Amino acid sequence: MTEKLSHNEAIKTNSRLLRGTLAEGLEAVATGAISEDDQQLIKFHGIYLQDDRDLRPERAKRKLDKAYSFMARLRVPGGVLSSAQYLAMDRLADERGNNTLRLTTRQSIQFHGVIKTNLRPALRQIDSVLLDTIAACGDVNRNVMCTPNEFASPVHAQALRTAEAISTHLLPRSGAWREIFINDEQITQALEEEPIYGATYLPRKFKIAIAVPPQNDVDVFAHDLCYIAILENNTLVGYNVVVGGGMGATHGDATTYPLVGSVIGFCSADDAVAVAQAVVTTQRDFGNRSNRRRARLKYTIEDRGLEWFRNEVNARLAKPLAPAREYHFTGNGDAMGWHTSPDGLHHLTLFIENGRVADVGNWRLKSALKAIAAQDVSFIITPNQNIIIARASTAAREIIEATLASHGVALRASALREAAMACVALPTCALALTESERYLPSLVTRLDSMLGEHGLAEQPITLRMTGCPNGCARPYIAEIGLVGRNPGKYNLHLGGAHDGSRIAKLHREDADEATILGILAPMFADYAKHRQPAERFGDFVLRHGLV
Amino acid sequence: MTKPIALPHTAPFAPEQIAALDKVIGGASAVQRAWLSGFLAGLDAAEGKAPPATAAGPKPKLLILYATESGNSEALATRARQDAAKLGFAAQVQDMADADVQTLKSAGTIIAIVSTWGDGEPPQRAAPFFRALMGDAAPRLEGVKFAVLALGDSSYAQFCESGRQVDARLEALGAVRTGPCLELDLDYEPAAKSWLSETLGHLAPKDAGSVIHVDFQKPVPAASKTAPFPAEITAHGKLTSERAQAETYHVEFSLAGSGLSYEPGDALAIMPTNDPALVAQVLRATGQEQDTALAENLTKNYDISTLTARQMKDYAGLTGDTALTALAEDAEKRTEFMAGRQIIDLLETFPHQLEASNLTALLRPLAPRYYSIASSQKLVGEEAHLTIARLAYHSAGRARLGVASGQVADRLRTGDHAPVLIRANPHFRLPAEAQTPVVMIGAGTGVAPYRGFLQELEATAAGNDTWLIFGHRNFLYDFLYQLEIQDWLKSGVLGRLDLATSRDQPEKRYVQHILWEQRRHLRARLDDGANIYLCGDAKHMAHDVDATLMRILADGKGQDAGQAALDALISAGRYKKDVY
Repeated sequence: MTEKLSHNEAIKTNSRLLRGTLAEGLEAVATGAISEDDQQLIKFHGIYLQDDRDLRPERAKRKLDKAYSFMARLRVPGGVLSSAQYLAMDRLADERGNNTLRLTTRQSIQFHGVIKTNLRPALRQIDSVLLDTIAACGDVNRNVMCTPNEFASPVHAQALRTAEAISTHLLPRSGAWREIFINDEQITQALEEEPIYGATYLPRKFKIAIAVPPQNDVDVFAHDLCYIAILENNTLVGYNVVVGGGMGATHGDATTYPLVGSVIGFCSADDAVAVAQAVVTTQRDFGNRSNRRRARLKYTIEDRGLEWFRNEVNARLAKPLAPAREYHFTGNGDAMGWHTSPDGLHHLTLFIENGRVADVGNWRLKSALKAIAAQDVSFIITPNQNIIIARASTAAREIIEATLASHGVALRASALREAAMACVALPTCALALTESERYLPSLVTRLDSMLGEHGLAEQPITLRMTGCPNGCARPYIAEIGLVGRNPGKYNLHLGGAHDGSRIAKLHREDADEATILGILAPMFADYAKHRQPAERFGDFVLRHGLV
Repeated sequence: MTKPIALPHTAPFAPEQIAALDKVIGGASAVQRAWLSGFLAGLDAAEGKAPPATAAGPKPKLLILYATESGNSEALATRARQDAAKLGFAAQVQDMADADVQTLKSAGTIIAIVSTWGDGEPPQRAAPFFRALMGDAAPRLEGVKFAVLALGDSSYAQFCESGRQVDARLEALGAVRTGPCLELDLDYEPAAKSWLSETLGHLAPKDAGSVIHVDFQKPVPAASKTAPFPAEITAHGKLTSERAQAETYHVEFSLAGSGLSYEPGDALAIMPTNDPALVAQVLRATGQEQDTALAENLTKNYDISTLTARQMKDYAGLTGDTALTALAEDAEKRTEFMAGRQIIDLLETFPHQLEASNLTALLRPLAPRYYSIASSQKLVGEEAHLTIARLAYHSAGRARLGVASGQVADRLRTGDHAPVLIRANPHFRLPAEAQTPVVMIGAGTGVAPYRGFLQELEATAAGNDTWLIFGHRNFLYDFLYQLEIQDWLKSGVLGRLDLATSRDQPEKRYVQHILWEQRRHLRARLDDGANIYLCGDAKHMAHDVDATLMRILADGKGQDAGQAALDALISAGRYKKDVY
């Protein structure tokens, strides 16, 4: 039972609660990088070291080091920002980043291209509007997701309070973030206590989400721990608890695979935080710390059994989990477009392709959102990388529509495009094996024209693409999933459920665009002809044995 | 049978030493001479001394060929070239993306460093070369030796496939494998380095570096201003990123056979030629399009860019143009016209047919362009390296290009020759004493002489305490010689580095901001007797640095005190400038 611990465990153990030599590394001006061990530690502070892979071919030839910069990611439970906070983030992207904001699949904002000398100023700007990046990456609980929109319904507001409480409760107690990035001074007093995590934190990343049915926009079956809100008479009475979902896998390693989570019971709303602590500490104590590829909670449960896991969690709870309640999901997309809540306020779910907020030519989304932030509104990043402009008065709604129009921004896109999602991949992500965000839009255009030929243009089909098998855009539960394997080539997964409750099947390895189109064209034709009323594409291809 | 032998006067000995050596060697028998030569060679080899840089005979050729996606192979290739040069090879590094398969025939020895990308694919940019190498038209390679280093990622089935293919194909084409192909995974670095040094050691010429080849027959001509030396360009490449707002080039000239030598801090002049496009415009404006002799003359000998007041008056007199005469005689309007304009603007604004002799009489001779040398002969031998920013801008509605920098950037390539000469700069030299700290301040190409200084300090191991304060626009795109500077920091040749990048953040940061922030540190260095060096832009940077130094030296005592302290530093030879 004493397998050698992974190197990351030693890094954590020796890090003095996530400090390492980060402060010294930030002072080394000749390189944009930091040491390899510090690259692991800085993730716990919501930051990755990356390099611009587009530029790699030119660098050494020109006696230049790799074009290193940092990516910093906000911790913002449920993705809710005030307009002042949004404006500060917009400015941050221009002053310290690459002039774009990237909305993420965990309802956060990422800043790319922050060079070393800009990292502390960037984090201080984030801190100045009462936000932080703590634990947005690393072997800890990451940004807690929650179905929006708190301003449209009391139930959603209550769910968000739960998300916030869990996020706060599971926040590392280490003062390293503030000490290294904000105050820039060494502490001399004793190290803090980490009552939940301990000095070595979790074996691997840990993801939590809360869904309010009928929307499964957060994809409750794709995370380590999820909560499904259970409503009675329009009041939230508690949550079904889902454990052991997870997307990440490694090409060529059959011991790794994506899994959907299992519902293990029900807890009251008041007990949600205690359940989170029980699940997290179980994973802390029993997760695999030798092999990082098999260190997620899903493998702990696979290896020891769901019953064992339920018992272990119950043993850590004052009140054991009750039997799960009924729930029903209709889909895992966002409710796009304008919605009006009973209080008369308006909320716009604005389509943002791949979550990239930028100005490109006459399409000036970033400038439009900046102008809209002058209104009394809130911003909510959705689990599908879109943005909700919430709490707009009727007058503000008109201004928002005019602003978007004058900046060349359409409110909606085709059904397929709205249901499509890509991770960042090249050029910044170190893990990417091929393109994703930069390629998906053109593939959607081609698929859209095929769907149109079969009269399927209005049919939402979830399409998700990642540049590597780690699954940031949750591709394995899409109806059409594309997982990058080689330059220009993807593993094609088909047959996921439209509500995200089923893993798709691997249909073809290493498919290039022509192969993908060649496979999907006859399926779309069959689907148009033979589908039953309201039958989803993912269900259809399974029923017809097409995969 | 013994020929009387005399050492050339350029030998690195004093005249009386040359006379003494002549006496011994001149009378020595062939056996005695052979013994002496072997003895001296063995002595240095046993002590592991680096071979001194001197005029060498033909060195064995080595082609280091790489195929890279991430830059790893390339970094190894660059490193191999340095090692190979020390071992006495005429080593050339080439990216397969730029290579011609036909040139492999005459490569001598090939070391191929090949990465595999994805599942068994060659790096994307090297794919055309791969196809040519594998194709029927590939040349036979009898007489060529080779060794292959294959890099890959073992998580893919076709691990190191590209390297394997190159290894098999070179053999199939008749080349001789000098050792087995080594296949390495993601943790390739240590094994790759030891493989390279073993392979190079195995291939190295046995007498490399330990015997000095001197050609006693040819007197060595020293280049002069009237007869500049036609130096071959042996390396030419961009230093700045494609994303940079400006372009800076690194160019290496061979001084072999020139008799030229220099010290770090000296300048190399290039005798430029004019842009043929601009020559054609001048000929067209003056109605001389057909005169090829004039075209040649203008290209090589006359300044067809700079516009002077004198030229405006002369041209007015020559042509009798009344409008121009009015303009040329009105100082205010003339100055206004001249702002941002050149000869071509004058000729086109006031077009007149001109005799060839009248045109050349109007023009000034083309002057050499001086660049601070960016190398030390103690490290690079008979080479001189330059760091040249391509000057390009728009003025008065026309795109302008620097005469020499435009030529070097746009028209000169490796293998071309350019006439050069050396200009000594004895006031901008490293301190003679190893205990004198060296504070180097520079922006942009102002880093050039400091590369020479640091190469010199690396070669001599003098151990001076060094501090480089370097300004440029963007950290990611304009950090000239970043990798070399990193190495010097690691080895301790460079003690401290501060960077000021002007465009990376909302506020502009320049070298003077670093000086002010680090003023206590600077004062401490001055207390230790430091020399301060300043190189780069004269107009803005030098002025701002002077003002900041004065403020620091005044130490709260007022401007006059600062000025006096700065003057004292200058007259003591401790504040040295090379600004332009």
